[in-house]
Amino acid sequence: MAAPAATENEYVTLESADGFQFVIHREAAMLSGTIRNMLSSPGQFQEAAEGAIQFRDIKAVILEKVCKYWYYRARHANSVTEIPHFEIEPEYALETLMAADFLDT
Amino acid sequence: MSRRNRGAAGTTFVNNVRGPTSALTSFLNERGIRRANPAPAPVPAPAPSRSPSQDGDQAEEEEEEPAVSQPTRTARLTRGRSSAAATAGSSAATSRSESIDVTGVNENEDEDDSDSDDDKVNLVPISVSVRTTRVTRTRAASTAKASKAAASSSASASKKRPRKKGESDDSNDEDFHDITGFVPRTKFSHKGRMPQGSNKIEFCSRCRARFTIKAGTTPAVDDDDGGLLCPTCTGSSSAGAVAPAAKPIKRPRRKAQKAEIESQVPSLQDLCIQKIANCIEDVEAFGDISDISMDKICKIISRNRSLNTETLQLFLDPRHSDLSLHDCTEITAEGLKSIAQFCPLLRSLKLKLCGRINDDVLNYYADHLSRLSSLSLIGPILLTDKAYAKLFETVGDRLERFELKSSSRFSIDSLKALCTHCPKVTHLRLGDCNLMDDDWLTPIAGLANLRSLRIRNPEPDRLTTASMVSLIQAVGSGLEELELKGCTTLEDAVLVEAIRPSCVRLERLNMMDCEYFTTEGVETLFKDWTTNRGLSYVNLENCVMLKDEALMALTAHSGGTLEDLNIKGMDEVTKEALLTLSRCENLLRLNASWCRAMDDEVMEVLVKAAPRLEKVTVWGDHRLTECCPIRKGMKVVGREGDYIDLRFI
Repeated sequence: MAAPAATENEYVTLESADGFQFVIHREAAMLSGTIRNMLSSPGQFQEAAEGAIQFRDIKAVILEKVCKYWYYRARHANSVTEIPHFEIEPEYALETLMAADFLDT
Repeated sequence: MSRRNRGAAGTTFVNNVRGPTSALTSFLNERGIRRANPAPAPVPAPAPSRSPSQDGDQAEEEEEEPAVSQPTRTARLTRGRSSAAATAGSSAATSRSESIDVTGVNENEDEDDSDSDDDKVNLVPISVSVRTTRVTRTRAASTAKASKAAASSSASASKKRPRKKGESDDSNDEDFHDITGFVPRTKFSHKGRMPQGSNKIEFCSRCRARFTIKAGTTPAVDDDDGGLLCPTCTGSSSAGAVAPAAKPIKRPRRKAQKAEIESQVPSLQDLCIQKIANCIEDVEAFGDISDISMDKICKIISRNRSLNTETLQLFLDPRHSDLSLHDCTEITAEGLKSIAQFCPLLRSLKLKLCGRINDDVLNYYADHLSRLSSLSLIGPILLTDKAYAKLFETVGDRLERFELKSSSRFSIDSLKALCTHCPKVTHLRLGDCNLMDDDWLTPIAGLANLRSLRIRNPEPDRLTTASMVSLIQAVGSGLEELELKGCTTLEDAVLVEAIRPSCVRLERLNMMDCEYFTTEGVETLFKDWTTNRGLSYVNLENCVMLKDEALMALTAHSGGTLEDLNIKGMDEVTKEALLTLSRCENLLRLNASWCRAMDDEVMEVLVKAAPRLEKVTVWGDHRLTECCPIRKGMKVVGREGDYIDLRFI
């Protein structure tokens, strides 16, 4: 795939430690400071070129949760009405926090 | 005249008032808060059936004679001027009401000469008869019916007893509530109630005023030229009465604002932290989370009071060099000891509400925390001099920061031990230490490396000006921060003879509650203070005596460097002085609560002058309207008529 075409791509692929791939909207992924830096840094990084990022420390369950959060956030960012609560299972809360810390979300 | 004296002066008129006063009234009187710069008077609701019944009113007035003290108070509270203006030209006014008004004028002029001419127009009463005097004011404004109005209004002032039955209770709280709930300023040109968010700001095609179009609403269109119309012009063109139109507007606005607050999506980190804090008992270990997150969790569970000996273990990591526990009430002495066991590398330890810490634990810290250089203890009620002495002896040169608050056992012996054994202390903070007196200041003067000194809330009358002057003269040259919060008895000599010549490096100065500092003192301190390059933080909260000159001298000296300014409660300052805040180009935070000359114009100047301004606190500034100009990303806290934003409380 040609590099310039890929950066224009509307979607990015995030791969978890256990091999699951999440294809999510670029806008949503950009809500993470870390991913934004990865995808828009001036150097020609592989991630930016391919639009795919591998997270070796984040499990699929957690990454799914984080992706859900990005969409939740994108959807309700400018909402005027009351927004629903974003549910996090207690058993995943710590790991999600670690991922959120890392992803700057 | 300090606040206390003022309070005493206040009680003289309070005693004239019959009947119960509300908690708010007594509180305001106690704090010396007066109505110096009230809000612009709201437009009153039309009172149609009143003026014709002049004779009847007068008759009622006769009946009301026993309650003379109440009208007198009304007159005083209106500062006399507006009602006097109404009565001045009136021939129909009764001699009774005239005499009341005249006394009002005299009292007022004796008491307060600093009101600007502008104030004379805007003065409105604070309490008992808000409604009636509102009538007074507008009637006075409409010159056509001046005499009739004066008569009816002075009569109506005395008529308030019968009136109040039909309406609400007339305690002050009610009236304050009434003022806000009245939807005032309905004729005010700007209607921009919600400047932030996705709202759009437009200019009215008829009155050229700026107004806000709320998200999801469409503004009215002018029939003549097709331009947009502000709500005021829309209301007037539709020929509807102002008061009924105001009611339906109110509710949706509040609701929308509330929703706007809630719609800010919290970060995933905060959501997780909240969740973890809720079930902290089930957490076995935190794993690899950031220090900031850990501290946030610690704060939340401290607030929940679930930080105990068991949960404490989660925060103890041998790699940590800083530890800050915000509520140690539930942690036993053994638990506190385990801090030193699990985190031997601690450099900085901060224990708040550590009532259970005892000599044994402190000795253990002294022996085992071999890198400790900063110790902060809030509320250590069990520690004795012996333990402190041993700690200071063992830690010795390493100790750089020491903070102690709310201890009634820390005595001068401990302080002497600190000053002898730990000469490298750079930050010393002593607050609410009951035993503190003049003698304490002598050993502190020996700390040559001191950069930050905070002495907070000593027992009243225990610290004298003379000894504070000699302390500051001794250590002042190195000080970057000086806090004298609550040292209420200190006088101007501290400013003029000590701080001005000595504190050349000073950047942060906190003089909160120092009531005896006068305008002259502060002015002398800042005027041509060339040896100091400018302060970045100044707190003059509750220095109630300070007037214009003090603030002007401060802004002239430190204008370019000030980042954080607190002038809460300086309600003597006028608009002229507040406008000099425009010199503070680097201002980040401003607390101008109860500076009641603060208005939209000052805010506009400020917003223009200080591009980095983040937060302005304006509780009790009645002249500031909801439509005052603010910039995106800037917080204005405490505007009258705003919703109460619980995040800031």
